[in-house]
Amino acid sequence: MSFGSGFLRFPDLFPGRRSGEPWGDRAVALDVAGGPYLFSGLSPLQEEAVRHRFAGLCRDGGDAAAPVVPVTSRVFRAPASDFLEIDVRGWEYTLDMEHGPGSMRLAGLRLMARLDWTPALAGGLWTSEAAGEEWTSVFENWFRVLAAYRLLEESGVVLHSAGVTDGTSAWLLLGPSGAGKSTSSRLCLERGATVLSDDLNAVFLDAGGGARLARLPFTGDLAGLPGGPAAYPLKAVLRLAQGTEDRLRPLTPAAALASLVAAAPFVNRDPWRREALLAPLERLARSVPAWELTFSLGGGIWDILRTLNA
Amino acid sequence: MRYRRIEGEAVVLRQSAAEVLVLNEVGASVLDLADGEQTVGAWIEALIGEYDADPAALAREVLEFAGELREAGLLETLAGTTAVEPPP
Repeated sequence: MSFGSGFLRFPDLFPGRRSGEPWGDRAVALDVAGGPYLFSGLSPLQEEAVRHRFAGLCRDGGDAAAPVVPVTSRVFRAPASDFLEIDVRGWEYTLDMEHGPGSMRLAGLRLMARLDWTPALAGGLWTSEAAGEEWTSVFENWFRVLAAYRLLEESGVVLHSAGVTDGTSAWLLLGPSGAGKSTSSRLCLERGATVLSDDLNAVFLDAGGGARLARLPFTGDLAGLPGGPAAYPLKAVLRLAQGTEDRLRPLTPAAALASLVAAAPFVNRDPWRREALLAPLERLARSVPAWELTFSLGGGIWDILRTLNA
Repeated sequence: MRYRRIEGEAVVLRQSAAEVLVLNEVGASVLDLADGEQTVGAWIEALIGEYDADPAALAREVLEFAGELREAGLLETLAGTTAVEPPP
């Protein structure tokens, strides 16, 4: 199946550059790891929806471009007729991506987007969704991809994971959908942990060794709590495995690296960013202990994680 | 083929198949030797010299592993080469 043909009625007419009719003249700047991220071309309703969804992370418009240069992304109108009608019942949603050395194209439900390195990273999003949950869903799907690519430029990686903290240190729980990220997060939460996210987290590599786990506003079943430090020292990486008892098995750095690569959404499919992805993850695999973890539902997982606070 | 050597093992990223593979030390050594210049026989000789193992058993393991890599699309037989039989 060629790029975009699963979502777009006219995949050959995919925008060749970041241009078109914007939805409006509104803008929102979001303070999220790797940012700030500046989204422009929004309608008032779209702006309101973004501000509501990402409450607490919005910068005032006047601060958007100072002192840090934001990652910019412009939003354009696309007619509904550009997109195929898709029955999503029982369907696993996977964005369609096409990668190139200087750009990346993305197609999904009611969205087209592109990232260009010109040379700074800049994005464009085309959608037929004017407001409401549908617009918020399109926006968040795009934002997740944008953040994943942006963090690579900051020696960071977005990972499908649960991130939990005791307020001082953090632990990263890796696993695809169904592996137990939300369940393990809930068990830790019940025992006093703070859950950063049970779906996507950011890891940054420190120049002097070690790593930090940073919260992202993308969650699964558990909404992350706002506030708190931006990042926590990462004490261990845990690969979740099916099992009924509390058990730890150390992972070799190679096995840890493989698990981390598998958990890096969007960018792990991009051959042009392979080295940009492998470099920080190899550093992470070499510097932070990694384990395979199975856990019971008795709640002992939080005690186990805290014993890894080396 | 792109792979990452890390503490004796190798990590192979097969993006086309959305797979990440971890190879043990012997497998990683085979990847190091599969440079398109050396024959499988040369790999076996090099590995016999490197590992304190029964030569026949090592040769069989290497050939079997090479076959698995070829089936997985990670190795290909170059034109003009011949199959190598393990030593008796």
